Formats: sequence, C-alpha cells, structure tokens
Amino acid sequence: MKKIPQQYVFILPAIVVLVLVVIFPTIFLYYISMTNYDLSLGWQVKKFVWFDNYRYLFFEDPLFWKSFLITVIFVLSTVSCEIVLGMVIALGLNKLQKGRRLLMSLIIIPMVCTPSIIALMWKLMLNTEYGVANFLLNLIRIPNVNWLSVNLALPSVIMIDIWEWTPFMVLMLFAALQSLPMEPFEAARVDGASKMQTFFYITLPMMMKLALIAVTLRLVDSFKIFDIIYGLTQGGPGSATEVFSMRIFRIGFQHTNWIGRASAYAVVILVVLSPLFSRFTKLVKENR
Amino acid sequence: MEIERNSGLKQTVTTILLVIFTLFCVFPFFWMILTSIKSRVDVIDPSVWIFKPTLDNYVRIFEKRNLLFNIMNSLIVVGGTTVISLVLGTLAAYGFARFQFKRKEDLAFWILSLRMLPPMAVVISFFVLGRLLHLLDTHIYLVIIYLSFNVPFTIWMMRGFIEDIPLEIEESAWLDGCSRYRGFFSVVFPLISPGLIATAIFCIIQSWNEFSLAFFLTTFNAKTIPTIVTAFLSVTGVLWGEMAAVGIVAIAPIIIFAFLVQKNLVRGMTFGAIKG
Repeated sequence: MKKIPQQYVFILPAIVVLVLVVIFPTIFLYYISMTNYDLSLGWQVKKFVWFDNYRYLFFEDPLFWKSFLITVIFVLSTVSCEIVLGMVIALGLNKLQKGRRLLMSLIIIPMVCTPSIIALMWKLMLNTEYGVANFLLNLIRIPNVNWLSVNLALPSVIMIDIWEWTPFMVLMLFAALQSLPMEPFEAARVDGASKMQTFFYITLPMMMKLALIAVTLRLVDSFKIFDIIYGLTQGGPGSATEVFSMRIFRIGFQHTNWIGRASAYAVVILVVLSPLFSRFTKLVKENR
Repeated sequence: MEIERNSGLKQTVTTILLVIFTLFCVFPFFWMILTSIKSRVDVIDPSVWIFKPTLDNYVRIFEKRNLLFNIMNSLIVVGGTTVISLVLGTLAAYGFARFQFKRKEDLAFWILSLRMLPPMAVVISFFVLGRLLHLLDTHIYLVIIYLSFNVPFTIWMMRGFIEDIPLEIEESAWLDGCSRYRGFFSVVFPLISPGLIATAIFCIIQSWNEFSLAFFLTTFNAKTIPTIVTAFLSVTGVLWGEMAAVGIVAIAPIIIFAFLVQKNLVRGMTFGAIKG
C-alpha cells in the first residue's frame, strides 16, 4: 500500500472543511438561484425555473438597477474618499516627530469596533432633535440637519463608512511609507526636485503596490456592506440606502420570501466581485 | 534659520490636523461611554457633558435584558471556531510553508481569495440547508460556518509566521531522530506561539464582530452579541442608555485585544499577505 504523502496529511483536513463550508454552499447557491423557492411555501413545492430569476432581476425588478446604482455610488465614494484622506493622514503621521504611536493606537479604534453596534451609536448621534451631531453644528451656527432623510441617508451611511475605514487606509499607507528606502529621496533632493515632484514621481510609485492591495480589499468589503446599513437605516427611508446586500435581505427575508430571486442577487454579487478576487491574489503574488 | 521656523510651524499645523482627525475617530466611542453612564433624562439632551454618572444602564442590561446569555453565546461560538481554525489552519499552513507539491501556489491563492467571499453569497445556502437539517439557531452551526473565513485567514497568517522560522532549526531536530510530526510539535510549535496568539486574537475579533451570518442564522438560542442590535431598532429615546451600555460591554474587550495585536495589524488586515 502506498503511503499518503506527508504534505496531504497537513493540508487535507483544512481543504475538506473549506470544500464543505465554501464550495458546497456556493454550488448550492447557483442551484437555488435557478429555482422558484419561496420560504413561505416550503422546499418540496419549488420548481426548477432555469434563468427565470435572472430575467426577472434584469428586466422586471423595479429596484435591481436602482440598487445596483446605489451600491456603485456607495463603493466608489467611500473608497475614493478613504484612499485620499488616508494618504493625507499617513503623510502627516510620517512627518510627525512625537506622539505617532499614541495617535495610531487611537486611530485604529473605528475599524475594530463591532459595526452593527457602532451603527446604532451613529443613529443616536445623528438624530435630528437630540443627536450630538446637530448640537455641535448648532454651536457653530449651522441649523439642524436631517441626516437620515431620503436625500441625506446615503451620504450619512457613506460618511460612517469613511469614518470606519479611513483608519485602515492610514494604517496600510503609513506602513508603506515607513518601509520606503531613503536613497531615492536623497538623490531627488540632490537633483533639486520639488516636494510635489518627489511625491508624484518617487513616493507614490513606490507605494503603489501596497496601496492597490488596500484599495482592492476595500472595494470588495465596501461592496459587501450590510451591518452598518442594517443598524442605521435598514435600507430606508424607502429604498434610499438599499445596497445589494440589503436588497437580498429584503427580497428574500423581509418584504417577500423569494429566496430564489435573492439567490440570483447573491450570484450577481459573486460575478461582479470575482475579477477583484483575482486582481487581489495577483497583487499579493507580485508582492511576495 | 527661516527653514527651521517654517518646519516648526508646519509641525504644529500637522499635529493639530492629526489630533482633529483622531478626535473624529474616537468621538463615537467616547460618546457611547458618556451615554452609557447618563440617566434616562440626560441621554436625550446632547448639551449635557458633565453630570453625575450612574451605572443604572449596566445593571439593567444584565438584570432585565439578560445580556449574559448573549455573551455566553458569543463566547461559545467565538471560542469554538477559533480553536478549530487554529488547529486546521496551522497544520495546513505548515504544509504550505514546508512542502513542495504540484500547483501549491494555485491552491494557496485560491484559499486566499476565499477570505474575500461576501457573506451574503453563502448565507442563503446556509439558511436553506440549516432549515432542512434543523440546524438553524444552534451554536455548532455558527461555529462551522465561521470556519469559512477563519480557516483561510489562519492558513495565510500562520504560513507567514512559519516561513519566518529558519528551516535549519527543524533540520537539526530531524538529524537528532525526530520525525516530521514530532519536529513540528516540539520545535516549530513553541517558536510560532507568538504568531499563533496574534492569529487567535484576530480570529476572535472578526468572529466576535460578525453580524450578517449570525443575523440570518440565529433567532434566539444562539443569538450573539452583534445581533442584539435588532432589539433596539424600534426603540424610543429612553433606551439609548441601555444600548450604549451594551455597546461598551461588547466593544471594550475587542479594543483591548486590538491594542495587543497592534504590531501585527497590517499583517492581520491583509490576511498575512503583507508582513508589514
């Protein structure tokens, strides 16, 4: 009898578990997305409907494209603000001579806080009548803002995401700055390069890889957002903050029980994100 | 001289801007502490910053809301999934770090990409399966499902830590007659234990904070801490104090854990992909 090669003894248990908890559910998801399974009717009566759910999403669902647009706006505005703000803060921290460690310790707090709970905290702070946000604005003579109204709910959620995840960008970009070698900067100074030139031609290109990894990670995470929005607005008012994940919840569990259609939404998320997955692994591969 | 003065001013401006940003970062947490020790009346008055603190909210969440029950659920789920992930993940990480085999990197990077899988993509399957198998609202089900993000994470984190250890140390153990397995347990294991602890803390943080999966797959018996926000969604102003107290109880330990792994934070946030 041939002995099992040793490496498989180490690796196989984890692989088996991953196949069970990731591969199998994903395949099952594709299957459900092609049935008309409805929670209120039960598993036995469902039918296989091929791509009917997808046809429904793309051509009949009044909220599919709206939800898609909301998600895209959310993702692009959060990630772009976070990278720019994160870069500014990281550059500042890098210049700072004293107190870096202390500030860094405090800056990381938002990203480790339980998101669903912190969302409720923001809900209290953004309350129109007794929220502290409006109280502070009133101090500088700005009238009350209705943060969670139809028009402002999405910007508010975006602001909270920026609050939560800019620290991540700061952390990553600061680490990148710290790892830069000194020589190119000295050479640039000797050659008389201006600060702007040094930043755009030396600092930025050398940080690019790490920055791209950070951005890709954020793009994926931002696309998956659910907890913050659930705690703050539950997708409302109306469907003003109904991002894709929220739409899945509403169509599959809250407003209707159309699990089949909700699954089709989930498949769309997977398809949209998969180029980012491979982009991320490629970036990491190059960086190793 | 002028350059000196200029840079002194710049330093001050930079410091002030950074402090403002930092205040913005910590303010919600600060406000949560403040709200949690306010009386019912003061909670809905944002102009009150100085007052006589009360622990009423904390007493109430443990006596009336039975928060301990949810904390226990969280501890069981987090503990279970962390221990299993560490065992499976570390073994696999050793396999990836120390062996060569066909398509090794493809497999490793496939595992890395799993870590980014959106919970929404798998939660429906888990919900339907759980319903058919009567596993919804059980601890064991959450423990197993949390493996889907903790195992890939552990593999990548631990692979990095194991690769940091020179192979020679192990080889000398083999020369002394240790088997591969004994070498792993008696030589490698003690050396990677700091990494193991850091990885465990990351698993704890992300499992403790996990909301989406727990929200869909539990209703009462296995309801974890992050999902009790649902109890506060329809409240009137009066209960904000209790909510803030729950928040502090949930978040304070996590912040302490985060400080403990601060050195490894970049590594952790990128699943060990970047050693930081």
